[in-house]
Amino acid sequence: MGFLDNSTNNIIVDAVLTDYGRELLARNDGSFSIVKFAFGDDEVDYSLIEKFGRTVGKQKIELNTPVFEAQTNQNFALKNKLVSISNPTLFKLPSVTYSSSGLSGTTLSFKRTGANASQMIAFEQVIADESSIDPELRDPSFIVKLPYRFLEMSDGSTPDSIDSEEIASYFVMKDSNQTSAGGSQLSLKIKTRSISDSVFTFYGDADNKNRISTTFSVTGLNSGVVTELSATIEK
Amino acid sequence: MATFKEVLAASGDIKTTRSVLNQLVDVIQEDISGSATRKSYQSFVTGGIGPGVTSSLYQTVFDQDFTLQTANPLFDMTIGLFEGGDTVASSSLGLDTNGKRLFPSQSLMMREKIDIYRQYAANLLGDADASFVSPFGSALDTDRVDNAAFISFKRLFTRDKLKRETFALKMYQSASIAGQGPTTLEGQNLKTTASGSASIFTDFGSSTNRRRTFGGEVGDLVDSANSAKKVGLVFYDAGTVVLNLGGRGVTTDDRTRAVVADQIMSGAIHGMIGTVPSTNTDLPLGRQIMGYPGQVAGLSKAKFIPDFITSGSIDDVVNHLAMTRFSSGSLTATTFQNNTNINSTLIFCRATADEFNYSSNPTYTDTANRIRVIEQGQEDVQRAFTYITTVGLYDINDNLLAVAKLSRPIEKNDEKDLTVRVRLDF
Repeated sequence: MGFLDNSTNNIIVDAVLTDYGRELLARNDGSFSIVKFAFGDDEVDYSLIEKFGRTVGKQKIELNTPVFEAQTNQNFALKNKLVSISNPTLFKLPSVTYSSSGLSGTTLSFKRTGANASQMIAFEQVIADESSIDPELRDPSFIVKLPYRFLEMSDGSTPDSIDSEEIASYFVMKDSNQTSAGGSQLSLKIKTRSISDSVFTFYGDADNKNRISTTFSVTGLNSGVVTELSATIEK
Repeated sequence: MATFKEVLAASGDIKTTRSVLNQLVDVIQEDISGSATRKSYQSFVTGGIGPGVTSSLYQTVFDQDFTLQTANPLFDMTIGLFEGGDTVASSSLGLDTNGKRLFPSQSLMMREKIDIYRQYAANLLGDADASFVSPFGSALDTDRVDNAAFISFKRLFTRDKLKRETFALKMYQSASIAGQGPTTLEGQNLKTTASGSASIFTDFGSSTNRRRTFGGEVGDLVDSANSAKKVGLVFYDAGTVVLNLGGRGVTTDDRTRAVVADQIMSGAIHGMIGTVPSTNTDLPLGRQIMGYPGQVAGLSKAKFIPDFITSGSIDDVVNHLAMTRFSSGSLTATTFQNNTNINSTLIFCRATADEFNYSSNPTYTDTANRIRVIEQGQEDVQRAFTYITTVGLYDINDNLLAVAKLSRPIEKNDEKDLTVRVRLDF
C-alpha cells in the first residue's frame, strides 16, 4: 500500500473494485449495483488545525498529508466517513463510550467455555457539557462486525452478511433506553463460538497458542462513528 | 442516512463511456533468436528408421528464459503450406483411397504443415481450403501464399487487437551464406545469423485502406523501402502476421516474398536416417545434411523453397527463421502497438454546500467532544469543514463495492459544492 503521487497539481483519482465488488461481478446476477457513495478522510489528522491554527494547519493537511493507495479489502478501505448534518453551526459532536465487566482498557476478554464465554458490553453516545445531542446524530441502529470464526451474538441471531474473511456483519437496533442527552444506547452480548484446539493452534498468538487475539467494531449508522475494540479468547 | 448519499442514474450521476488504451510492445532480437527464450514442444514424433524425428507444431517466444515463472510468452511461430500450392503439388505423390495426401520419404511433416495452413485459413479467411494472397484481395495467381510463416502474438500483448499502421518487423530476407555449404556443420547458413542489410516490413498504409474479412481486420505487410513490395498480411483482431515465404513462380520472382525463396540452404536437418554417412561422421544419427554436393545426392543444391521447407521439420524451419533472420542483439526485432478497449462507468459523486461538512474521524473532536477545526472562542463565526481523501461506492446493503482515493486531501466546507468523478474501468 503505497502513497499516491501528489507531485502534480492535478488531482488524481485512483479507483479500484473491492474484493467484495469483484465477487458480486463474478456472480453475474446483477447484484453489482452501485447506489450510493460516502466520503472518507482516514489519512487526515485534524489535530493539526488545533496545533497550528486554521491557516497553517490547513496547509499542513493539504500539502503534507500523503494519501494511501486504495485498498481492496472492504473492511479497511474506508473507515471514517464524512457526515452530513443540516445544522451548520455545530461545534461539538458526540462520541461513543463503552463499558463491560470483561473489559480491560480496550480489550474484551473471553474464555472458550464457562461463565466468561459470553460478555455483555454497553455502548452509549455521549457529548461533554451539553444537554442534548443533535437528533440527526443519534444512531437509530448500529453495524456490529464480529470475527465469525470466534465470536457471535449471544442471542443466536443470524449475521446479515459474512464476507470472505469470515467477518460477520449484524445490523442491530439501539436499545429502547437513551441517555439524558438523547444519545443512543446499545447493549451487546457477545459469546464465543465453538472453537476447536486446532483453531487455537492455527490462529493463536505466537507467544501463547492458548489465546486468540482479534478485533471487532461497532459503527453508528447516522453518526458514522466507528468504535474498534480488541478481544482475546482464552482456551 | 447522514453518511451516505445516493447516486441516481436518472439524474446523470452514472454514465458509461468507452476509451481505447494503446501500449507499445517491443520484441528484441535476442528473444526470438535465443534458444533459452524460445520454447519448442515435442508434439510430433516419428518411429521407424534411426532415432526418429521429434518436432513442435509451433514454437513460443518468451521475453526471458522460459523456464522462469516470470517469463511472459510473446508470440507463437510456425509455418504452413497451402495444399493446393506449387510446393505441395511438386512434392506430393497423390492421395490414398481415404483422401490422405501421400509424400515421399525425403519430405517431413508435410501433412502437419498443410494442416496448420488450413487451420489458419479457416480461422482467418473463413475457409480451410482457401489460400492467403498478398496483397490481400489480389486475384493474381502469383500473389498466392503457398508457403507461409505465421506469427501469432499472445493475447497478453495483443490485448483486444493490434493497432493499425504500428506494426514493424525487421528481418533478413536472405540467410548468411548464399552459396553452398562448407564441409563441417559449423558456419552453415541454417544456423548462422544472417548479416548484411535487413529489411523492415511494416503495415504502412493500412489505416487508410481498411479491409475486413472473416478473421477480422486485415492489412498488407510491405517492405518499408518499397511499399509496392507486399510480403505478407497482418490480421489485427487475431494478432496474427502471415509472412509470404514464397508463392507461385518462386524461382523466378521474389518480388512478393518475405525471404529469398530460391536461396541455396546448407546445414543439417532432421530426417529418418538409419546410418551416419561415411563422408561426414560428425553428423549425428538421424540428421540429414543439405547444401553440400559431395555428401548427399538430391539435396546438394537445396533451395529454401521448395527443398528446405518440405524436407525440414517445422522445428528445423522455425529454428532457422528465428535463429538467423532476426539477428541476435538487443535491438528491436518487431514492434507494434495494441488496443485495449476500456469500458468505464463514470460515477459523479456530488456534494452540495450543506453536505459532508462534519467527520467521524477520531481526530475530528477532542476529549471534550469539541470540533477541532473550529477555534475556541470563534464558534459563532467559524463553521466546520472537512477534508476528503476517499470515496466509497456502496450497494443497497451498505457493502463497499469500490473505493477511490484522491491524490491529496480536498477541503469541503459549507461554501463549496464538490463533484468527484470516479471512473471504474472494466
